[in-house]
Amino acid sequence: MSPRPLVGPRLRRVLALVPYVLAHPGVAIDDLAERFEVSTAELERDLELLPLCGLPPYTADRLIDVWIVDGSVEIRLAEYFDRPLRLTPAEGLALLAAGRALLSVPGSDPTGPLATALDTLEGALGTRGRLAVDVGASGHLEQLRDAAAESARIEIDYYSFSRDEMTTRVVDPWRVFHAFGAWYLAAWCHRASAERLFRVDRVRTVRPTGEHFDPVGRSGTEPAGRSGTEPAGRSGTEPADLVYRPRPDDLRVTLRLAPGAVWVVESYPHESAEQLPDGSWRVVLAVSEVAWLERLLLSLGPDVDVEGPPDATRIAREAALRILERYR
Amino acid sequence: MADRLERLVNLTATLLDTRRPLTLDELAERVEPRYPEDLAARRRQFERDKETLRELGVPISVHAVDGFGPEQGYRIDPAAYYLPDLSLSEAELAALHLAVTAVRLEGGAGREALAKLGGLAGEGVDEALAQVTVSPLVAVLFDAVSRRCPITFTYRSEPRRLEPYGVVLRWGHWYVVGHDLDRDAPRAFRIDRLDGDPDVGRPGSFEPPSDVDAARFVRDDPLAYGEDRPVEARVVVDASRAGWVVEQLGDASVVDRRPDGAVEFELAVVNRAAFRSWVIELLDHAEVVGPADLRAEVVAWLGAVAHKGAM
Repeated sequence: MSPRPLVGPRLRRVLALVPYVLAHPGVAIDDLAERFEVSTAELERDLELLPLCGLPPYTADRLIDVWIVDGSVEIRLAEYFDRPLRLTPAEGLALLAAGRALLSVPGSDPTGPLATALDTLEGALGTRGRLAVDVGASGHLEQLRDAAAESARIEIDYYSFSRDEMTTRVVDPWRVFHAFGAWYLAAWCHRASAERLFRVDRVRTVRPTGEHFDPVGRSGTEPAGRSGTEPAGRSGTEPADLVYRPRPDDLRVTLRLAPGAVWVVESYPHESAEQLPDGSWRVVLAVSEVAWLERLLLSLGPDVDVEGPPDATRIAREAALRILERYR
Repeated sequence: MADRLERLVNLTATLLDTRRPLTLDELAERVEPRYPEDLAARRRQFERDKETLRELGVPISVHAVDGFGPEQGYRIDPAAYYLPDLSLSEAELAALHLAVTAVRLEGGAGREALAKLGGLAGEGVDEALAQVTVSPLVAVLFDAVSRRCPITFTYRSEPRRLEPYGVVLRWGHWYVVGHDLDRDAPRAFRIDRLDGDPDVGRPGSFEPPSDVDAARFVRDDPLAYGEDRPVEARVVVDASRAGWVVEQLGDASVVDRRPDGAVEFELAVVNRAAFRSWVIELLDHAEVVGPADLRAEVVAWLGAVAHKGAM
């Protein structure tokens, strides 16, 4: 045992499991351990503590009575704990947000047990209609999820935003998931002969090929040495991988941003950022795709000065002139 | 540790059971294992216990014991402590278990919540379907919503006063929505863009409409979200990107389909900056054809970038 274990989590558990046992007398100790995510040994330690607890003056009739017979538990003389503690705002929000998010995924049952449980909770918290969580239906989401579930090889038309180009590719869809406000498809891309992540909202069309792939055949692509704390997807693709990781030969640009454009610093991974005495920012960004930099510089307009390299300055100017061609 | 846990359980039971507030001296006489004899050490220990209980959400209230002395009494109001009877079925608990495992909530306390409701029922899933991030500030604002506390805060350097009706997660961002008291109109604010922490006012200060649907305060189309004088913009988009924009804006916004596959759209613009960014994202695949002043604005913007680069 560590020298100072936290008392909070254990107290939280005790205050939750006593009401549960009171409502379910004779519950099996193993079931109880599973429900409250502890080992049986730890649960037994919790239960051993209870007979020392109760109300002053701690005479036999005032102490909590715990009976463990043949692996089932009963608790008496703890009427004051007969209902659990209210949810904290953070707990209520977490439960409702997770439930509402799942319910917003296409294919969820809008009248099933999840929906009724959330309605009951929101009624009790007085927050009906006050929390809206939408992870967003995306055009081909269900089709892609079905394909992943069936290990069906598909052909997709995909728009690459950073390169501003449309491509057609055959992919083996492994997994569809939502992170950072968007849906992603993790797949083996036959065109790239590599694992790729696709934004679901940029998939224009999905065509079945009629072929299937071996869902376990790709296990070799899982990165070695991944720690057990992450639920290692078969594909090894985790939301954290979505963050752009600069390569050594990517272009580095140094930008001077007006104070109002600080969102660039907040939104994009950068190599360095410093605020200057006049409130403006100097930020160094790594850029892998020209179209991405074009859009950034064009939409920032007067809020950005490119300090270098000259290449970046040229990119912005040429992009502006190219678009202006249309307006002549 | 076992001693402290034991005392925390006993303290909770005693404060729940008492009808009148108990002073620290009275608690020290009653609650076992005993608080230290030394008064300063006793007070320190009690404050720590109180803090631990409050972190778990135990509502310890403080009362003046008599009108003369500074002495304070403590109790737990059972009505504030007890979770209302929700009578969730095993199937409902299992559905909630599935939800907190399928939706990985960074910074969330969904499992702790489930423990209070009756523990984990059924099977969760190993691989999260979705990941959502929730900051402590979202919980503070959600609490203000449920307790009907008005909030004041600074947003884009402007002071704002809001009767919060709800919180909304959309496009990966959390919004607080409600009635803006200064503008006397419905408004939505991105929570991560609040400057500092908001001030939360007194509970029960306002009565929201009974049929609030928070989702409707955050409009689906960021373009339709602003305070500029509304104009109808017309934009021509290349064949290569037109299908895309039809999906985004809807068929109703299509005014012309040209033989080369290009499509002309009409859309309401109330936020010129958002509109400009949207058009620029389409690079040279799109052109603003009207109205003339909006087109001129985009041309001037691009011209400035081209000119700056030439210097």
